Amino acid sequence: MHAQLELLLEMQDLRAQRRALSEQDLGGLESELFEIEPELAVRRIDDKLDELEDRLDASVRGRYERLKGAGERMVVPVMGGICYGCFMAVPTAWASDAERNEAIDVCDNCGRFLYHLD
Amino acid sequence: MQLRDFFSPEAIRLDLEGETKDDVLKELVGLLALDEKSEGILFKMLKRRENLGSTGIGRGIAIPHCRSLVVNRLRVAFGRKREGVDFKAIDGKPVHDIFLIVAPPLEVSNQYLPVLGKIAQFSKEPDIAERLDELETPDQFMQLLEERGA
Repeated sequence: MHAQLELLLEMQDLRAQRRALSEQDLGGLESELFEIEPELAVRRIDDKLDELEDRLDASVRGRYERLKGAGERMVVPVMGGICYGCFMAVPTAWASDAERNEAIDVCDNCGRFLYHLD
Repeated sequence: MQLRDFFSPEAIRLDLEGETKDDVLKELVGLLALDEKSEGILFKMLKRRENLGSTGIGRGIAIPHCRSLVVNRLRVAFGRKREGVDFKAIDGKPVHDIFLIVAPPLEVSNQYLPVLGKIAQFSKEPDIAERLDELETPDQFMQLLEERGA
């Protein structure tokens, strides 16, 4: 897997975690069951995201920042040849499974970073 | 929605070998049969979640959980470590029974919260730790879920 894609995946997963903690239901469960403070946890995630953003290459970061301005989902899975950001078909032809995710791939339609999941 | 619909015998290990929290988390991630890179990313996310606060809820039970792009549907696993492992649990006691939950960032059916809630509820039944300790096969784990209507 491309190192920058791996970083992008981590960041997207952290954003998902951040969103989950901010949701009333899940944030409440986290607080009640696991005794964590969602607001404090969100601040810690934000600090980590800032740190990881600094490790993005300039070209990747430029696109990441543009996508961030447009919404939550900068990296989306491709399953069955469909971009799960815009649900349009994307080309998925590789010589082998090992080639998947070895380059930074973006959707021609919505511009999101793509993570090929199958 | 029933918990037993999400578990499968292949994702249940009653004899975890790891001696540390990290080791058993890796073993549980391994039960999901992902590729090596995905396993690494998932382990890192679970660690990040643990760093926010332990998912050891006390009475020997932990429920590590996170959302991650590396799975395309909600996945669960169960592992048991009879000797216990230090999970920095809320009650400070060793953890013996570990339920892993991983969900994609977005799910159409939104099962993450209900599954987490149901596992928590199941775990809080008074005799459940004892029943989990008695299990000898993964099929018995599935039967226990069915018996409890979970």
